[in-house]
Amino acid sequence: MSIPESHLAQEAIAALVDGELTAGPARRAAAHLTGCATCRMAVQAQREAKEALLRSQEVAVPGDLLSRLCAIPFTADVPGSGGPGTLAAGPDSLTVSGSHGSWAVSLRPHRPGRHDATARWLRRSITGTLAGVGIGVVALALTLPAADDGVPSGPVARPSVPEEHTDVVPPVVRTLTVGPVPAGSASLTPAVRGGRP
Amino acid sequence: MSDPAPEAEPEPAVAAPWVAPSWEQVVREHSARVYRLAYRLSGNAQDAEDLTQETFVRVFRSLADFTPGTFEGWLHRITTNLFLDMVRRRQRIRFDALPEDTERLPGSAPSPEQVYADTHLDPEVQAALDALSPDFRVAVVLCDIEGLTYEEIAATLGIKLGTVRSRIHRGRVQLREALAHLAPRRPLVEGGLA
Repeated sequence: MSIPESHLAQEAIAALVDGELTAGPARRAAAHLTGCATCRMAVQAQREAKEALLRSQEVAVPGDLLSRLCAIPFTADVPGSGGPGTLAAGPDSLTVSGSHGSWAVSLRPHRPGRHDATARWLRRSITGTLAGVGIGVVALALTLPAADDGVPSGPVARPSVPEEHTDVVPPVVRTLTVGPVPAGSASLTPAVRGGRP
Repeated sequence: MSDPAPEAEPEPAVAAPWVAPSWEQVVREHSARVYRLAYRLSGNAQDAEDLTQETFVRVFRSLADFTPGTFEGWLHRITTNLFLDMVRRRQRIRFDALPEDTERLPGSAPSPEQVYADTHLDPEVQAALDALSPDFRVAVVLCDIEGLTYEEIAATLGIKLGTVRSRIHRGRVQLREALAHLAPRRPLVEGGLA
């Protein structure tokens, strides 16, 4: 006997609204709804709640969060400590390799300017250490062929004996050879080139 | 090691074998979705940022284990689990540290204007969402905002299909009641179904 108190199961009401009922149950539910105001209201309430949420729009990601996310390869702990993956550093990227293939993590600056205070700072500190190594090499390279070129560069360094320079720490050598030119701009370009082994 | 890094500007990989995107591509493609989910779940920008950051840290750490084809599901799973962890941690702290009659700390909740500016979601709706129990909230948000199927939600949360249905239903009922309370001028609908 069918009594009016028999209603759709709550779960069926949600599933009906979401189109998650299969054909048979959906038909039966529809048939029930035509004669049952209580269930119709329940369905309508579900629908209203759903629509209130559907009206929500896109959320913009804050710019500084975006740059922090992009900087994760530099700030997060390296994977592979415990996991099966490995991490390899290439000239412009880190490569994370695992059982399912490998991932490239680009270290190149993407779009200059705009965002990214953090990422740029991190990159700078990394290239800074690379450049530090490079400057030493370049500084030595500059002092040695200076005699062959015949270019009167580094007049201060000239009179001293070459052996002395090899003993001097790189920063001091740099100031001697570069001389009048602003130290940063002159030495940085070759240093970056030389900094990539 | 073959060089998998795109040389210049990252270009969309076309056709054939699956090519791993650069990290920046991953971030650009998925951060909005993760942040939105985190915001709808947590209800405020600070927690949403923390959740998003932590989600991507987890992603980065386990990139090597990632199986192509399930990225969105993977992100949903990480984000919702982190959110539920956060909620449970805070509940523990609250029970442990606070006397029973402590009121909600003032000042921690963003103003309605701020909520709207952040999310473009009606602050009343976000408030109603915030009032749901976390388990219901997750189910409803995954269904109605993220558009997941029941099956996908069940997989994401590791619960049964029946549980998904019931959480969504009860969550929506509470949501509807909260909205009716917040907006009393809206009459309870007596109309038929579409």
